[in-house]
Amino acid sequence: MPLASSNTSIRVHQRIGRRALFSGLAVLLLILMYLSLAIGYRLYSPGEIWRAVTAFDGSEAHVVIRDLRLPRALMAPLVGAALGIAGVLVQTLARNRIASPDTLGLNAGAAFAVVMASGLFGVASLPGLSVAAAAGALATSMLVFGLAAAAGGISPLRIVLVGVTFAGLFDSFVNVVLTVNETMLDQLLFWLAGSFADRKLNLALNGLPFVLVGSGIAFYLARSLDILQTDDATARGLGVPLGVVRGLSFVSVALLSGASVAMAGPVLFVGLVVPHAARALVGLEHRLQIVAAALVGAVYTTLADILARFVIFPREAPVGAVTAIVGGCLLLVLLRRRAA
Amino acid sequence: MDKAISVKALTIAYGAATAISAVDLDIAKGKVTVLAGPNGCGKSTLLRAIRRLHQPKSGEIRLGDMPISGLKEKELARHIGLLAQSPSAPDDMSVEELVRLGRYPHQTMLQPWSAADADAIQAAMFGTGVSHLSERRLGSLSGGQLQRVWIAMVLAQETDIICLDEPVNHLDMAHQIDCLDLVTRLNREHGRTVVLVLHDLNLAARYADRLVFMKDGSMVADGAPVELMREELIEDVFGISCRVIEDPVHQRPLCIPIRNSSPRFGAAPQS
Repeated sequence: MPLASSNTSIRVHQRIGRRALFSGLAVLLLILMYLSLAIGYRLYSPGEIWRAVTAFDGSEAHVVIRDLRLPRALMAPLVGAALGIAGVLVQTLARNRIASPDTLGLNAGAAFAVVMASGLFGVASLPGLSVAAAAGALATSMLVFGLAAAAGGISPLRIVLVGVTFAGLFDSFVNVVLTVNETMLDQLLFWLAGSFADRKLNLALNGLPFVLVGSGIAFYLARSLDILQTDDATARGLGVPLGVVRGLSFVSVALLSGASVAMAGPVLFVGLVVPHAARALVGLEHRLQIVAAALVGAVYTTLADILARFVIFPREAPVGAVTAIVGGCLLLVLLRRRAA
Repeated sequence: MDKAISVKALTIAYGAATAISAVDLDIAKGKVTVLAGPNGCGKSTLLRAIRRLHQPKSGEIRLGDMPISGLKEKELARHIGLLAQSPSAPDDMSVEELVRLGRYPHQTMLQPWSAADADAIQAAMFGTGVSHLSERRLGSLSGGQLQRVWIAMVLAQETDIICLDEPVNHLDMAHQIDCLDLVTRLNREHGRTVVLVLHDLNLAARYADRLVFMKDGSMVADGAPVELMREELIEDVFGISCRVIEDPVHQRPLCIPIRNSSPRFGAAPQS
């Protein structure tokens, strides 16, 4: 069978290409993480960065590098990877390429919880708001999934409808509260716009296990998710227990987006755009899509976090604004290419 | 007769509405069985029930000696393959990516991809003549090619029994014949048991080893096409007065519809 052997060779070629692609993205990510330590309002040399980490002397430069730059250099890729994977899961779950964790109302639910925590309980510290955000995202995911399931079978359409409804509801609540209470708006604006600035290292370390478990579940489901891209009858015909797979996917999305929103606030567009880039790079198999989305997401948010320091220099722009602008343009390019 | 599947006193209901009631049917091993009947007669429901997509209200379906209700999802998927009615997959999925999905029931966490998987995929694409399309996106294929690729996906599943729900619904005449010839070949050359749902009576008569007529959720008749293709029976089941002649090429019965004889379709006033 000459046809078969040529197919095999194409696939081997692709596999080598993928390895190079993943390595390339990983190297790019490391370079960006280094740049995230080195450049900003002040520039630091490699030697100074090394000393700040290994031989901290309490100087201003070392404080900036260790306490301000290092947490965001670690948190930005972590959040980007988490949102990238969550985006892949949501788009497969919803069978809809314009769905994202935002579509399921998770960010809106987190924002609502933050506003409530701040308004009712006077929570003002970042760790406190993070806990509220994570709780809000998790509660919203349970609410959305529970309602979608209660309506009789969790169809992709119902998940999206319930999610969009809650996203709208929570957004309206937040807007009403913040319009009435301007002091609170000032206090929470930095959180609501999404940012990696002024986060403690601990916050990233606390988020890490959630991201790891969430990604682990996503990997475990990879083959079933491949099949979830087909219609329900075909998927069941292949032996996929739809309810179980959808439920576990939801848990994974909740962990990943909950951890992200707790760490950085709502960082928009990452979960929407990154899966498109991942599919363009490696195709539709989730084992590959998930790795690609994690790497691309990490590169994307780290780059956005660096850009955020310069777009309105010397002040810092919220990273959520940068990811939205860059992501919007990227999405337009992708859509144009597909339409052509 | 060797039985691949036996259906006993099967009743299935959607809420209060009974879709099929008290159906008894044996599906012969290694044969092509065609379920036929007018729209809404329950033929697709019966097919889907055989693949356990519907829970019976009462009755039982056995695969050989085992009740299918006792089988695990993947286990059942290793015995019965299903080509759903109007199946869907993303337009930018490649042909090979889709065919690879067929291996799912044979894979486990610890053994994700084996040489047997690769062989089954190559064999399925070769057998359906889509090997040269393997890198193509599904969205770029014609309807006929796409249906072949879906059949390849089901074939890669390597099941003894293949169920196909209206596989030629959206195809033109050439591709209908092409598709059903392919299915027949799978049956003749590979000994697969095939269960087809078709609403085109003449195609059913041409391709069936055994024909099953359904009407209003019940099984009306069951036998070889020559036995079932009788004018009065067809009028009763399908609500058309007709003539049945012998197809001069295939020597199968051929139904020539004359007019709608059923009042439920609002027959034209007689003049």
